[in-house]
Amino acid sequence: MITVGIIANPISGKDIRRLVAHGSVFDNQEKVRIVRRLLVGLAWAGVKRVIFMPDYYAIVQRAHKGIDTPIDIESAPMCAENTQDDSTKAARLMAEAGVSCIFVLGGDGTSRAVAKGKAKIPILPISTGTNNVFPFMIEATIAGLAGGIIASGQISLEDGCFRSPSIEILDEEDSVFDIALVDAAVHTDTFIGSKAIWSLDQVSQIFLTRCRPDSIGLSAIGGQLHTINPEDQQGLHLLLGEGEKRVTAPIAPGLMQTVAVAGEARLQPGDTIFINESPCIIALDGEREVEVRRGKHVSIRFSSDGPLVVDVPKVMTLAQQAKLLVQ
Amino acid sequence: MTKSKEKMIQMYMTMYRIRQFESKLQEFFADGKIPGFVHLYLGEEAVASGTCAALRKDDYITSTHRGHGHVIAKGGDLKMMMAEIFGKSTGYCKGKGGSMHIADASLGILGANGIVGGGGPIAAGAGMAIQYRGEDGVVVCFFGDGASNQGTTQEALNLASAWELPVVFVNENNGYGISCPTSKSMAITDIADRAAGYDMPGVIVDGNDVIAVNEAVSAAVERARKGGGPSLIECKTYRWRGHFEGDACTYREKSELDEWVKKDPLPRFSKKLLDDGILSKKELEKLHAKIDTELQEAIAFAEESPLPEPADIFEDVYA
Amino acid sequence: MAQKTYMQAINDALREEMERDSNVLIFGEDVGQFGGCFGVTKGLFEQFGEKRVRDTPITESAIIGAATGAAAAGLRPVCELMFVDFIGVSMDQLFNQAAKMHYMFGGKISIPMVVRAPQGAGIGAAAQHSQSLEAWFMHIPGLKVVLPATPADAYGLLLTAIRDDNPVVFLEHKLLYGVEGEVPEDAGPIPFGQANICREGTDVTIVAFSKMVYSALEAAETLAGKGISVEVIDLRTVTPLDIDTILNSVKKTHSLVVAHEAVKVAGVGAEIAAQVAESAIDYLDAPIMRVGAPFTPVPFSPPLEEAFTPGAEEIVAAVLKIRS
Repeated sequence: MITVGIIANPISGKDIRRLVAHGSVFDNQEKVRIVRRLLVGLAWAGVKRVIFMPDYYAIVQRAHKGIDTPIDIESAPMCAENTQDDSTKAARLMAEAGVSCIFVLGGDGTSRAVAKGKAKIPILPISTGTNNVFPFMIEATIAGLAGGIIASGQISLEDGCFRSPSIEILDEEDSVFDIALVDAAVHTDTFIGSKAIWSLDQVSQIFLTRCRPDSIGLSAIGGQLHTINPEDQQGLHLLLGEGEKRVTAPIAPGLMQTVAVAGEARLQPGDTIFINESPCIIALDGEREVEVRRGKHVSIRFSSDGPLVVDVPKVMTLAQQAKLLVQ
Repeated sequence: MTKSKEKMIQMYMTMYRIRQFESKLQEFFADGKIPGFVHLYLGEEAVASGTCAALRKDDYITSTHRGHGHVIAKGGDLKMMMAEIFGKSTGYCKGKGGSMHIADASLGILGANGIVGGGGPIAAGAGMAIQYRGEDGVVVCFFGDGASNQGTTQEALNLASAWELPVVFVNENNGYGISCPTSKSMAITDIADRAAGYDMPGVIVDGNDVIAVNEAVSAAVERARKGGGPSLIECKTYRWRGHFEGDACTYREKSELDEWVKKDPLPRFSKKLLDDGILSKKELEKLHAKIDTELQEAIAFAEESPLPEPADIFEDVYA
Repeated sequence: MAQKTYMQAINDALREEMERDSNVLIFGEDVGQFGGCFGVTKGLFEQFGEKRVRDTPITESAIIGAATGAAAAGLRPVCELMFVDFIGVSMDQLFNQAAKMHYMFGGKISIPMVVRAPQGAGIGAAAQHSQSLEAWFMHIPGLKVVLPATPADAYGLLLTAIRDDNPVVFLEHKLLYGVEGEVPEDAGPIPFGQANICREGTDVTIVAFSKMVYSALEAAETLAGKGISVEVIDLRTVTPLDIDTILNSVKKTHSLVVAHEAVKVAGVGAEIAAQVAESAIDYLDAPIMRVGAPFTPVPFSPPLEEAFTPGAEEIVAAVLKIRS
């Protein structure tokens, strides 16, 4: 039986960036409607079963209740703790249960939490968050179709997916204890607080796995200097501070900032940078996540071993060529 | 995002002051020392502390039946509070109000409130006064998850947004309206979602993280001061005690409480202050001792103060 | 002396207070450009602008509550309920918040606000737009309750209401809006709690207020024709209640009729009757009579509404009953 996973984050799209920037308010009712559309696409592609992450709003159950679908749903065997660890744990449990694709509803932060689960199966991130560089701004019916086609093996993983790089955060013993999918930033504050970053005043360096001139978030800064596509297996390291260049970029939705860039370097897989600052905070994918205590240090490594991601336009192009939807 | 050392210490002290004050009340209530009933704020200290640290003295707040924390955080006098709760004539309300009705106009505290949802329209009105006078003050309307369902709250949200009033609606979602879990009283789970219906920003923060609360409220306050209008901040938190003292809490699992006690906002923050070297252990102990003394003085003041005379019943009557 | 309608007198009082004190502002449903449902605030929007004469959403809790909050924060709001019947929507904000704050907070906060509301039957507005609810307000400690009968009183009492530091409920009878009367050029505030003896008499005291004062005077005229000398007292405010003027009159006439348009059951008349019985029963030569509406909702159809609404005829009947 073809089974996929759905991880829908009820808290995404509601952080402080609605106040300090102009982030969209993403209510849970809309997430329910997105899952309904997703289920329609999945059903067409032949998916029979969905394992979902339990969440306090019961997004997937509500979505399922509201439509007539041949798909059965089942909760991953876990209790919602209402933290981002839920997403990580759910991804792992879904992999163990044999799902063949995981759909992620959230922003960069949610995708990151899922990728932390290190599942070997492809993910298809749908944007319902704030800063959305990693997840796709995509109509969920199409996402359901594309992910379903991959899950059912109608298009192979090799043909329809790409491997995204990642940034690994290493402790003093060189063990990876956290990751970022798009960006990591060193922040001189010592509090995680409301998590988001909306000012670069205290950011000293930025690591990027990708950047495009049309990106949002911290990768937009790199994006004004270079283009690195997700599949390029190359990264960028920016040192902020007085230097030759000043870059203006949209660092959050509706928030432009100008920052001085003192230096930049390309990153190759395996490149590891020791972070001299301590104490500090490491922000991952735009959110303050890691507290580096006084006297402790971390290193940051660019890795080619990130999650496998469904390339929706490519899958749909291959589906067209194979006449999957033409009778 | 930067916070001064003083501000961080102040926020911690406020939380500790509330914690100790409420713990004492818990004890006094059990010993039958205080009349009436009390609704304790234990577990929710970060919300009041983080919020009021974003306010000026001349900003207003409207509070709730669970209001001791708000009053303390806005600068309320412990002696007068304690005396009021003891029903003494030296209390904030001269013994006329009690636990649920403490107000202090000089601190902008427009009153705790015995009616769930009672404060919303009043907050809108205070916001209207600020706007009318062209000032840059702000009103914080504290309200609970239960109050978020009340018509008065909806009317206040509507008026505040229609008139772009400088009101920050700080929701304390502690999961229960008396005994009824939010899952039974509303179809949604995030009160912040309601903000969209009133065209205002709706934000969720960890209500047990004083820094997170302070950052969000500061941003909302700054927005309101500049004429940006109201916003709604939902603080996810938990009520350690029952709705009132004496409530056996038969409607919830002990394990649920245990999970939340692990997220106690006080040690979480004090550990951080110690780890970051903002405070030494010795300094922290000194601060604790200072507040403990302050509280002891408040208790002594309350205990030694006279009860009101029966004839005082007619004082402050105008009609 | 200027001849003015009751409505104009109210409008003048509002205008003058707004000119005098920049803290006075008006808000309510359709009070702005529209001029109020009955036209009471006409012209004020043009003179003072939207900032001071503001239309609200149709949310009565927000109206009364915003007035309460604005008053607590130092303004002197005058808010309008389009019909007094709508107070049901907002009663908590009035009776639990505005009325109690000063006392409950130990005098720490004052609430200088006025709630204006038209009340009364007579325009075919039926059960939810025609009630007389002064007894509700009178029952709440913390509210002053004003019911002017004449243009001069409407003017002077409203000045007092706006200058009062506590919540005042100012009840205007809809059918009085067009009534004309003299308002002296130098008229000023009229203190609360001072009843007006509108007609002196020796045989029976009729206590009335609002529109019922006219019925009482008409009844007095009729009874004069029958040789009965009637003293008519217009209370002007029911809280504070000028019980002394009533008692003094009763001590002279030895009989009392209290008349109001509200339902008789548990009305203001019941309270006055009880107070007089407690203090002056020895002076009474006859039972105290109450004239009030039957204990029904206000009906719609003209003959039914007419049957509901007490007037001079009922007062005359009550007097004749105790004089017989």
